[in-house]
Amino acid sequence: MKNATFKALARLIDLVLQHRVPVVSAVIGFTCVMAYLAAQIEVKTVFSDLLPRNHPYVEVNNQFKQTFGGSNMVSIMLEVEQGDVFNPTVLKKVQQVTQALQKVEGVDTYQIASLASKKMKEVRASTEGIESRPLMWPGLPKDAGEIATLREAVLNNPLVYGPYVSIDMRATLITADFIDGSVDYLKAYKQIGEIADQARGDGVLVRVVGEPILYGLVNHYLGETLQIFMVTVGALVLLLLLITRTWHGTLLPLITGLVSAIWALGAAKLMGFHLDPLVIVVAFLITAQAISNSVQLVSRFDDEVAGGATSAAAAARASLLNLFKPGMLAIVADAGCVLVVALTPIPMLEKISYIGTVWILSIMLSAMLLTPMLLSWCGVKKRYAHPINVHPILDKVLGLCAAVVTSRLRYGVLAGAAVLFAVSGIYAFKLKVGDANPGSPILWPDSTYNKDASAINEKFQGSDRMFVVVSGKKEGALKEPSVLEGMERFQKYMEAQPEVGGSISLADILPAVKRVVREGNARYQELGGNADENGELVYMFVSGADPGDMDRFADPQAKNGAVTLFFRDHQGETIRTAIARVKEYVANNKLDEAEFLLAGGLVGVLAAVNEVILAGQIEAIALALLVLVVCCMITYRSTVAGMFFMVPVLLSNTLTFSYMAWQGIGMNINTLPVVALGIGLGVDYSFYIVDGIREELHHHQDVGRAILKSISTSGKGVLITALTLVTSVVLWSFSSLRLQADMGVLIAIWLFISAASALFLMPAMAYVFRPEFIVGSRRRPIEQAVDIEPLRIG
Amino acid sequence: MLNAIRQLGTGARVATSVTTSSLPLLIIGGLLYAAFFVKAEPEIGTLKARPLERRDAFYGVVAPGGSILWAAGSYGKIVRSDDGGKSWEVQASPVVAHLQSIAAWDARRAVAVGNRGLAVVTDDGGKTWKEVKLPRSEVANKLLQVRAYPDGVAWAVGEVGAVLKTTDFGTTWTRVLDEKDQAWNDIFFVGQNGWLVGEFGQIQRTTDGGQSWSPVSSPVKNSLMSVHFRDARHGVAVGLAGTVLVSADGGASWQEAPPLTREHLNCVIWDGAQWVAVGDKGMRVQAGAEANDWKAGRISDKDLSWRTQVVRTADDFVLAGANLAVLHKDELRILGRDE
Repeated sequence: MKNATFKALARLIDLVLQHRVPVVSAVIGFTCVMAYLAAQIEVKTVFSDLLPRNHPYVEVNNQFKQTFGGSNMVSIMLEVEQGDVFNPTVLKKVQQVTQALQKVEGVDTYQIASLASKKMKEVRASTEGIESRPLMWPGLPKDAGEIATLREAVLNNPLVYGPYVSIDMRATLITADFIDGSVDYLKAYKQIGEIADQARGDGVLVRVVGEPILYGLVNHYLGETLQIFMVTVGALVLLLLLITRTWHGTLLPLITGLVSAIWALGAAKLMGFHLDPLVIVVAFLITAQAISNSVQLVSRFDDEVAGGATSAAAAARASLLNLFKPGMLAIVADAGCVLVVALTPIPMLEKISYIGTVWILSIMLSAMLLTPMLLSWCGVKKRYAHPINVHPILDKVLGLCAAVVTSRLRYGVLAGAAVLFAVSGIYAFKLKVGDANPGSPILWPDSTYNKDASAINEKFQGSDRMFVVVSGKKEGALKEPSVLEGMERFQKYMEAQPEVGGSISLADILPAVKRVVREGNARYQELGGNADENGELVYMFVSGADPGDMDRFADPQAKNGAVTLFFRDHQGETIRTAIARVKEYVANNKLDEAEFLLAGGLVGVLAAVNEVILAGQIEAIALALLVLVVCCMITYRSTVAGMFFMVPVLLSNTLTFSYMAWQGIGMNINTLPVVALGIGLGVDYSFYIVDGIREELHHHQDVGRAILKSISTSGKGVLITALTLVTSVVLWSFSSLRLQADMGVLIAIWLFISAASALFLMPAMAYVFRPEFIVGSRRRPIEQAVDIEPLRIG
Repeated sequence: MLNAIRQLGTGARVATSVTTSSLPLLIIGGLLYAAFFVKAEPEIGTLKARPLERRDAFYGVVAPGGSILWAAGSYGKIVRSDDGGKSWEVQASPVVAHLQSIAAWDARRAVAVGNRGLAVVTDDGGKTWKEVKLPRSEVANKLLQVRAYPDGVAWAVGEVGAVLKTTDFGTTWTRVLDEKDQAWNDIFFVGQNGWLVGEFGQIQRTTDGGQSWSPVSSPVKNSLMSVHFRDARHGVAVGLAGTVLVSADGGASWQEAPPLTREHLNCVIWDGAQWVAVGDKGMRVQAGAEANDWKAGRISDKDLSWRTQVVRTADDFVLAGANLAVLHKDELRILGRDE
């Protein structure tokens, strides 16, 4: 820092330190208010928050989800261990579950379907004409004869046999849709869990899947998540205490983390945001930043004290003075990198990005202001909290860094980093967008939920749905044979994809009705020959039916209809292939009277998410780099500085992507928050090291010596933070939620790369390339420091 | 290293500084370009539609000899197998309406008929199928069955009393009976003797090769779907709701067999040793030569597909309907599905 700025900053710090009591009181007061607000923050998942705004698929989904079934479908499968489902015990259970589902909060009572629901109908021709009546509503079959009748009716009905009773007749399905917005996932999960538990037994297996259940589970594990969070923090305290051996070295970073968290959560509440339980790991990520900044200050403080500072206040002042620039740079750059994530058009990311930005900016006060002030109250006498001294080990590690960096090995470090960058950069292309495996990546593969999901997808056509809207150009368009035939051809085309278990649309219903009309003759299972005939078939299907029964297939005006496709999984690849095939088909097979609109249902909106996130992530990385470069350029008045600090960021991103590709962690809506917020995290520690070198060069002109000095001072802080954080983050791998374990590892990787590049790569680069912004040049030499006046505190 | 560059002179120094200054912006620009303009196009694994797809219905199948199988079905689809059903080839069809039936004179010449009164013929084993003109009715024209006999003769029957005949391998057709408001579902010939069955239990017979037809009184009102004679005297007709009629006098009189099932029966054949009829929900009824010992049952417990036709090949039965299937020693194999 130039002497002039240095002096101005020193005066400011003095001013604050002189009024430390009122300032700290103000901070405490503010924290109390924020804590009150933070305590009220809601922790919940809002699925619609995950969906990209203004994406055509999402708009189609929002427009039609009420009628064609949204993304909140729950499927309950009752499977018998012996025999088939046509026995009184199972049928009674089906009825009980169906009735109980109507009382579940947030359920769309018109969208419950099962053998026992009113909307599951049999259409039959009799002497009186066409009759359509519920299969098993309101009463259960009374005797063996009625059960046999039911069985016949089911086998006769392609809308039931296959979709709701498995082909081997050993399982039956009950589906319920929830109203977007009014569903409380945790309540839904608990209530449906109770219903499922009651139905279990008597040789009946009950399995449950669906997004509401999944997110309910995540909420269900919230307690455990918080426990792990607490244990992690506990481990952090223990490790800090072990390494720093002082109470202030342990507690001050912790206070910093806590204060920042309180302020951020309070601010989130003020902004009207809620917290998603899946992104609690992100909280740890930012807390890690807060703690590392504070550790730097404390570590520097200890060095100042050891170096003979006269008072705690003077040591605190000196440490803040020296670390102000890299600290602020780290905070501002980080905040900028997090803020650009808000440009990704997904509401949840936007919210997290705002919370994260506030959170990181709060570190300015919690670490850069509060820590030095609290330090100024600490004594200068060394009092160790325990006798175990790990510092010799730390010093050895730092000595190793120094030795590597200043010997010829530095070229090896650079070459190694270059190779690593190239290899991981290429490998990163294997990263999968969307879910990389069948089942939910949020949970472990052997979790009950994932096992249930695979069991259901084996028995039935597939529990994940996508609807494609067939939008007619005028009313009645859906009765036109050309449109209906187009729909059927489209279905046939889509079903060639192995992951598509089946599909259903009006074009399947009408042939079945026509067959009934024509004495059940199979040769007449076909669409009507003209719009009038199809209109009659539609009329026959809905006659005697409840209003709304037809809605799954078409609206009453026969203008908009849906082709619902059933998927056996929602892996990124499955969805992309399906969407590409839909587009290909639609482009090659235009209908005169209608058009196909993509795409609703869970698979439809996931397709939208997957389409957005990769581009969004690359854009965020680019903008984060831009923020970084601009910050560095302004701070160091050098474009080279931007290039210099880009290296660790690029490296940490390619390595993270490679790790995700290697471990089969897909880039999806759940991993994105952590991945996106982690973009800028590779660089923090490097600021401290590089700035340490530069500041040291204010005192002499020996670059080698400056690097050694910086590694032994700033490097120590880096090492302490990295060690404690990486170790404690490992505890996340015990989580019942696989996602959190995965994200814990990702964070550990970031912190590790960040530390490794700060300790090895950056000094080596500084030594090899000797960039002007660090070592100065003949034209612009580094100003030599003059002593500043000692601090006076009253 | 920079010192080394510095010694190279001003030009090199400027070059270095320009490079290092612009590199970050280039990288960022490149990433932004990638984000906005490069769309990751998914590789659609070349998903070739299988010859037999899940949604295909095959209403008719014929086995003209050897290992050849020919089937016709929904949306004009015609498929052929030359290896007894192991592999299938989709043949180019000039029509998109459902084909209801297919008949073959030999391995090269065949005819298929279907909805809207259309018929397609081939004389080159199916490499090319041509649509041919048939006499049409003003009311409805769906043809339901076609059968081929020696010397290029074929008979097609269908809605509105359609009974059409060709004598030149399907090139030209003539109407044999007048239109009436009742569909004929099947026709069968043994030499000069022929039988027609249709809606409302209607039966007619001829003894002069189809020149003149006379109604026969029928014991049932249910539609009859299929008729077959093992010689000029012994025949069976089946129909909706499990109807089975037996004649032992060349079709002059018919007796209803005791009902065994309520399922529709769509096709009956004499396979050389027994009568076999198939129908809805995987149902099959069988009887010995005298047609007096009928028994009913599902072909397979796991399969409830409807069937519209059964043919006998050297070793197997081949079934057409909601799917194509081969029945080998009572072991049912649905074709075109994953094993």
